[in-house]
Amino acid sequence: MSTVLYCLKKLAAFAVSLLVLSVVVFSIARLAPGDPLVSYYGDRAEKMSPAERAWAEERLGLHDPLPVQYARWLSNALRGDLGISYKYKTDVLEVIQGRLGNTLLLGGLGFLLIFGLSLLLGVLCAWFEDRLLDRWICRIGTVSSCVPEFWLSLVLILLFSVTLRLLPSSGAYTIGHAGDPADRLRHLVLPLTVIVLGHLWYYAYMVRNKLLEEVRADYVLLAKAKGLGKGAILFRHCLRGILPSYFSIIAISVPHILGGTYIVETVFSYPGLGALAYESARYQDYDLLMVLSILSGGAVILCSLIAQAVNERIDPRIRAGEVGPLV
Amino acid sequence: MTAPLLDVCHLTHVFRHGRLILRAVDDVSFQIQEGEIFGLVGESGSGKSTVARCVMNIYRPAKGSILFQGIDICDPRQRRANQKLLQTKRQLIFQDSASSLDQRMTVAEIVAEPMAIHRIVPPRGSLREEAKFQLYYVGLGEDCLDKYPTELSGGQRQRVAIARALSMEPALLVADEPIASLDVSIQAQILNLFRHLQEEHGFTFLFIAHDLAVVRYLCSRVAVMFRGKIVEIAPTGELFRDPLHPYTRALLSAIPIPDPQAERSRPLPPFDLPAPQGVLTEAAPGHYVLRSP
Amino acid sequence: MSALLDVQDLSVTFHSPHGLVEAVRGVSFSLQAGEVLAIVGESGCGKSVLCKSIMKLLPESAQIVGGRILLKGTDITGYTEREMRRLRGRAFSMLFQDPMTALAPTMTIGRQIGEAVLVHRPRLPRAALRRRVAELLDLVGLDPAAARLCPYALSGGMRQRSVLAVALASEPSLLFADEPTTALDVTIQAQVLDLLRAIQQKLGTATVLVSHDLAVVARAADRVAVMYAGKLVETGTAEEVFYDPRHPYTWGLLRALPARAREGEPLYTIPGMPPSLIDPPKGDAFACRNEYALAIDYEEMPPMFQITDTHFAATWLLDPRAPKIEPPVGRWSK
Repeated sequence: MSTVLYCLKKLAAFAVSLLVLSVVVFSIARLAPGDPLVSYYGDRAEKMSPAERAWAEERLGLHDPLPVQYARWLSNALRGDLGISYKYKTDVLEVIQGRLGNTLLLGGLGFLLIFGLSLLLGVLCAWFEDRLLDRWICRIGTVSSCVPEFWLSLVLILLFSVTLRLLPSSGAYTIGHAGDPADRLRHLVLPLTVIVLGHLWYYAYMVRNKLLEEVRADYVLLAKAKGLGKGAILFRHCLRGILPSYFSIIAISVPHILGGTYIVETVFSYPGLGALAYESARYQDYDLLMVLSILSGGAVILCSLIAQAVNERIDPRIRAGEVGPLV
Repeated sequence: MTAPLLDVCHLTHVFRHGRLILRAVDDVSFQIQEGEIFGLVGESGSGKSTVARCVMNIYRPAKGSILFQGIDICDPRQRRANQKLLQTKRQLIFQDSASSLDQRMTVAEIVAEPMAIHRIVPPRGSLREEAKFQLYYVGLGEDCLDKYPTELSGGQRQRVAIARALSMEPALLVADEPIASLDVSIQAQILNLFRHLQEEHGFTFLFIAHDLAVVRYLCSRVAVMFRGKIVEIAPTGELFRDPLHPYTRALLSAIPIPDPQAERSRPLPPFDLPAPQGVLTEAAPGHYVLRSP
Repeated sequence: MSALLDVQDLSVTFHSPHGLVEAVRGVSFSLQAGEVLAIVGESGCGKSVLCKSIMKLLPESAQIVGGRILLKGTDITGYTEREMRRLRGRAFSMLFQDPMTALAPTMTIGRQIGEAVLVHRPRLPRAALRRRVAELLDLVGLDPAAARLCPYALSGGMRQRSVLAVALASEPSLLFADEPTTALDVTIQAQVLDLLRAIQQKLGTATVLVSHDLAVVARAADRVAVMYAGKLVETGTAEEVFYDPRHPYTWGLLRALPARAREGEPLYTIPGMPPSLIDPPKGDAFACRNEYALAIDYEEMPPMFQITDTHFAATWLLDPRAPKIEPPVGRWSK
């Protein structure tokens, strides 16, 4: 199969998935109970007469049947007009623009850290299987993965911001220092710690157990018999064997980690997309909700497509579609 | 002559894998009479296990029919109507008893489970008594009842698997390479057990193996499969005395001889034979061989 | 001339939840360069453990508790992992029963062979490495183009050939083959055995061939050692063991072969089960399954009786005071 055809296929899959996602989110949002007018007009909406309401709904395009509304939204969206936020009364892209960078910074950094650290910890544990280091890492992991994120956040704020006064407790940057990387980093330390600690152990355990399974396979014995060292076997053979499943799980976990950032964003009053998504769903801010859903959904689908492509490179059996012996 | 217990007619099974189409079983026909041990021999990939799975309704054949006690098991309607009978009267014994027995169940539970599933009132009082009886049947003592499969040796586990299959008093036992993963000395024990079950209790077996030496001792008739086709069917003695198809001859000469001098000078038979073609024709009474018409 | 491998009174134990397993109990044998020795016995008799303990590939729960292993006259019993690694691949290498799982699933055959070559010649240039891989593939009867394939694309026989190429990459002087044909079709078994034999003749590689099936080793073995319950019970040249077996266990193994069965007669089976190697019996471990057992068999372990210069068997039946017994197996005839 040629590379171009391959890419086209993946792109088509991506587009279809996004379309399905938009239909589902669109219908669920509109069918859910709640009054979108409250979001636009605030308290005034409750005092409106039926005539006024009808006029307001028509103005916002809410009186049409669902399929018509969806078709209008889709044709507008394809032309680049994603609508306005009822709450902020501006173009949704503008609302998101200010916060996207913040979330990408926090979520992306957290994701990379979780990804790398869990691999490192898992390999360390597998290397020192059942020795002191392995046991302690596992113990610390069990305890810390049981601590709720919001509680950990509060304890960290209390310790580092209130008592020690080392780190800021909220926000993405100090007012007036938006462009200062050092200042940004200082604001990121606490939320990042919470996000990473909350997810790290789950993936580290997975890497450890998968590796240990792999280490017991016969081919490791052959690799040893031909004179290969422990490191070469672990990194060149075993790690390669587990990476496909690790990539897939990490890719699927993108929304999980993104969702985790929401709690953290709230506790640390961090101006990101998480808080925005929650608000938009709560106040029937339809257009904003659509964009946010498609954004995060698109990220998830993209990640799993990338994971799939990477896996096919690592493990040739996946590309061949081997499902087991045929006869 | 009475109607055969199992009548496989023009069975064809195809595996599709993307654009690749593999004819695993290609126009295979044979009959098994009640009370006989019928051997099906071939290399891995010859389609012999696929035949067994079609007989057990695990695969749905692309073409052909399989009559079991006169019921066409490939016909969904007839199959549904006789579901209970089919589930109890045909039993399968696998090659690898280590993985086909649940590690978390005791031997007594494993052996009695089919009866519990089919809500059969145990004629010997309790399910445990029933399990004990079946174990006695296959030569295992009472002390095994509360053991787990991991505590048993390979031969003992295979006996448990056989006891489990026997508990439903099946009319047909399909044994898919039941001794391939056992030691030579244990193989002999299990083979003797099969023989005993057939001679003394009249069980009927479809016995699948990759080794002709094993079949010679056990089976009354043997079919040799090669690349999805049966190339020869004959009574065992006749097949060994007078093999007609070149593939059968090659398989026969592949049996290792426990004699160093003879074995070292034994030439290797050619196995890169062309794909078999033709139709089964009767060369002698009861002896069929694949020949081009 | 000192032997290539000399194992003296080797004992290996395992820690298990049920107690200490005496897997190998005082095994001695030696192997000359270029010789093929077959070790035959039932599963659980310790034959695999014996090979892996010589290569020190056993899990940590296993321990060599006695005896010495001499490789070309050097005692390697106390070698560390680092020292062993230098020997593995070059001094000895290993083949496994299941070629399906012995190859790393995600790497091409060529890379796996190349890796084995590089272990002992790390500075080999790329082109030379590629040549060497092709040479090895050719040696085991595979098309050099197979180097670009991954294990899943190969048949069982081809995989076993690739494993052999990996094992031979650094030209070991000793090859352990642990049931190399058990997982293969009958039709391929003889081919793999012949290949082992051809390579042994071409490269002078001494081979320890482990199998549970006496008939299989007849084709390839110069000498045969029969192992039972962690001990060698009979050793001799292939002719001696097959034509003039002396130990009742060897008789049993030979009689149980389906190839020997006559139509209509029940197959001979060795009664009973091998003993547990946790706390094994104090006399001859085979006594309770032996129809020819003498009273002394239950009391005292038989020593190795010498029959010829090369033929030994550990059974009290060979004691001059024992009653004469006509062996139930003779030369095999069709």
